[in-house]
Amino acid sequence: MRSYFKEFFDSKLFFVVVAVVGIGLLSIYSATYDVRAAVNFKRQLVFAGFGFVFMLAAWLVPLKTLQRLSFIAYGLTLAILLFVLVYGATHKGAKSWFELMQGFGGQPSEFAKITTVLAAASYFSQSSVNIANLKHFLTGVCIFIVPMGLILAQPDLGTTIVFFIALLPLLYWAGVSNFTLIALIVPILVAGGALFGTAQFLGAAAIGAALLYYFRENRFAAVAAFGITLALGLTVQIMYERLAPYQQKRISTFLNPEADLQGAGYNVFQSKIAIGSGGLLGKGYLHGTQTQLNYIPEQWTDFIFCVPGEEFGFVGASVVLLLLFTLLFHGVNLAAQSKNRYGSIVAIGFTGIWAAHIIINTGMAMALLPVIGIPLPFMSYGGSSLIANMIMAGILMNVYSNRKAY
Amino acid sequence: MIASEEFGSPYRRLVLLAIVAAACVVLFGRLIVLQLLYHEELGKKSDENSVRTLVKEPVRGYMFDRNGRLIVDVGPAFSVTVTPSEFDTLNYKRLAALLDLELPTLRDRVAKGRAYSRFSPVRVKRDVDFRTLSSLEENLFMLPGVSYEVESKRTYTGGQHAAHLLGYCKEISDAQFAKLGAVYRQGDVIGSSGLEASYETFLRGEKGFEFFSVNAKGQSTGPLESGKRDVLPKEGFDLILSLDYGLQAYAESLMTPFRGALVALDPHTGGILAAVSKPDFNPEVFSGVTSAEEWNALNNDPAKPLFNRATQTRYPPGSTFKMLLALAALQEGVIDEQYEIKCTGGFRFGNRLFKDTHVHGQTDIIKSIQQSCNVFYNQLILKVGLDLWASYCRMFGFGKSAGFDLPEETTGLVPTSAYYDRVYGPGRWTQGNLVSLGIGQGELGVSPLQMARYVATLANKGTLVQPHAVNYVRNKQSNRLEAIDYKSTKLPIKEEYFDIVREAMRRCVQVTGGTGMAAGIPGIESAGKTGTAENPHGGDHSWFVGFAPFENPQIAIAVLVENVGFGASYAAPIAGLVNERYLKGEVKRSYHFAPPKRGTSKDSTASITQALAH
Repeated sequence: MRSYFKEFFDSKLFFVVVAVVGIGLLSIYSATYDVRAAVNFKRQLVFAGFGFVFMLAAWLVPLKTLQRLSFIAYGLTLAILLFVLVYGATHKGAKSWFELMQGFGGQPSEFAKITTVLAAASYFSQSSVNIANLKHFLTGVCIFIVPMGLILAQPDLGTTIVFFIALLPLLYWAGVSNFTLIALIVPILVAGGALFGTAQFLGAAAIGAALLYYFRENRFAAVAAFGITLALGLTVQIMYERLAPYQQKRISTFLNPEADLQGAGYNVFQSKIAIGSGGLLGKGYLHGTQTQLNYIPEQWTDFIFCVPGEEFGFVGASVVLLLLFTLLFHGVNLAAQSKNRYGSIVAIGFTGIWAAHIIINTGMAMALLPVIGIPLPFMSYGGSSLIANMIMAGILMNVYSNRKAY
Repeated sequence: MIASEEFGSPYRRLVLLAIVAAACVVLFGRLIVLQLLYHEELGKKSDENSVRTLVKEPVRGYMFDRNGRLIVDVGPAFSVTVTPSEFDTLNYKRLAALLDLELPTLRDRVAKGRAYSRFSPVRVKRDVDFRTLSSLEENLFMLPGVSYEVESKRTYTGGQHAAHLLGYCKEISDAQFAKLGAVYRQGDVIGSSGLEASYETFLRGEKGFEFFSVNAKGQSTGPLESGKRDVLPKEGFDLILSLDYGLQAYAESLMTPFRGALVALDPHTGGILAAVSKPDFNPEVFSGVTSAEEWNALNNDPAKPLFNRATQTRYPPGSTFKMLLALAALQEGVIDEQYEIKCTGGFRFGNRLFKDTHVHGQTDIIKSIQQSCNVFYNQLILKVGLDLWASYCRMFGFGKSAGFDLPEETTGLVPTSAYYDRVYGPGRWTQGNLVSLGIGQGELGVSPLQMARYVATLANKGTLVQPHAVNYVRNKQSNRLEAIDYKSTKLPIKEEYFDIVREAMRRCVQVTGGTGMAAGIPGIESAGKTGTAENPHGGDHSWFVGFAPFENPQIAIAVLVENVGFGASYAAPIAGLVNERYLKGEVKRSYHFAPPKRGTSKDSTASITQALAH
């Protein structure tokens, strides 16, 4: 029995998830300690309960079945995303909420993350698909682009970015050539550089050119890619200059929130203070002044990382980071271990999604990155996010169980 | 399988692991920077967010007179506050009417408060009178968000006396704040004149602090750590003055119709018994909130009521200065005790004739003082010499500040050769300038305070005392009285010379023919000297200096009445009455002043006859 367990039950993943969900619940309790939002703790408890059920279900479904159902699930989520754009409820400025019944609904974009990865994994694991083939490559990319577009239309920039970031390791793992990957990344980076300023744009363009040249497979492709890069960069530059000053300011504030502490930068500023003031050991559970006195708005969602940071200090925050990064390391290793190509790509895909969330969310909370509103996996309050993440974990446990099978 | 050979390659696995590891390191690094390196700075910001400090003002020290009577007290000042988030804007009109405020002013103040914090009360009117407060109280139930808080202000028990001596407090000025910053905040009240100013560091006490937790909305959520970190305010120290408040009140009542000053000292210690400067003001004007009209009225009044004539002005002393010259001459051996001259009613110097008031005939030292012969002194100063005489002036405390414990004293002016050289040019002045100095005229300038000290020295036969207002400071922490030490100096003048001069002064008051008889006290022997100082700008000033009783004096006094004429007519009787009040406790007789003879000050109500009571 014990050996069965060891062979088929990914205890590491399971217990890390349990631990992080537990810490998340404790944090939400603290952040909602004043009466008004206390109901969120109870809700998250319910979500966690459901999450565990779905997680176990995802673990136990035969992997082949999952593979076969991937595209259907994908199509379904695309339909719901479209539906939500037209008939969806607005939630924090984006039409992202799908209301099934009164007050009960979910965010389809969370589940789209799952199905998109499953679909892409299913596609690239087909023996007839060769990622080196341009047509196949583009198809795979489209599997991601379509939902990205629908989500961007809500608008939900954060989730769109997550999709893009998750795409990259997935392609990399699926065997895309270095050049192709570079050719995909460089234009985006250079265009981003254009938003910072002309000098940064030129600098990024120079680095981009060097990279493209270094990784070139043939000169033509390299030059073409660079051409696209420049075109994109210049377009962004021109468009930026045509923006009204207040719009330009919005962009620069977005990139550097600390420049506008009263406005957009307020949350990040308070978050930084919360984490920093925790010191080594923190102020004690339920004794964090930034948390308890509500200096960080809606702290139980995007800024949940502040709670262990302020109340448990460096020790607490490190534990959380370590647990989360354990998930990531484990995911990569699982992908390598899995002989099943479908499972392997799924593992990388989910790991990429989690990595994007974790790095952006904690980076934002510590004022390293711009304010991109995305939740911290397993910790932030939110039913869709929690349940979707737990399903992903369940699927990974499934991949683990089947890692030795082709 | 047509798959890319890069699929799932071990190399790529390592690359991905490396990227994850790099991200991990960066985030950890940032965590370390924030929580370990910047912990203190961010911790402070966290406190700034969440801790609000309420300053608790200490109670300012009281002032008592020499008999333990409370004269300067601290009382409540009520300020009305409005909490913007709770205030119903329909009530603006009613509130403005209750507080007697202009409606736009009230709106403006509340708006400013709201901009700062909706949940903090903002003061809309300070120092409201009790009637306003009472009517506000009656209506409070209809005015949600309106409340009042209690601050403290100075109150004066027993009337508005000794305003110049006691001084007043005002809001700290920018210049003062720049200099003294640390202990004070903008808007604090600081002693600005008189004893309030010179003893500010004793009177002000130490502020206390209460700490509150405050949430992101600015609402207080309770005391921080149950008040464990709170600091209690420390009360200011009390001052026990040498002043006799009853005497002060009485002296002020005598001086009220005039402009001038009166300083009475204890001749043994130098402690002030009374210090009057008229015209004066009501110190209550400055406590609490002073209206602009009140301040301008006082500031722009041509009679300068804010000016302390006892310590800040200088006048020529006239004949009251003769005793000093006599002592100088005796001590320097210029004359001896039997010295006499023949007074013919005038003194000729060069081609000028300095007329005396009478022909005194054969005059010795005693008679020269008793009857105030000018010729005697016109020629005596020429014998003594300018600089030697000036050195005696300085010896008696003239020409420099008396070191009195009030801020801003005049030094007066004692001319010397160097002075005349500077003013006229060397070789451009003659001994002729001295002639007037001999009888206390000319460029010589003294303050009533200096004169009081001078006559105290005559009274106690040669000890120069330190005039002071404060005898003790009561430390409110240890509850102990701490005496302040004042230095006295024994002057290098033989006591027998003082005996001569004192006897002369006794005869001036007690014996017929003396100019100062109006200063006599029924039943008590006293001594003194009159003076009538010529004033180029108007009427003569009336001077009197004296002490009582003659043996073992208890009070030394200097009185100056501006622009009313003879010393004998005004300053002398006032001095006599004040001395009597001090020695007997009450004055039963009444005195009538004749109207002033030569040129009067514009405001003086010259035709008043005073029936004097206690």
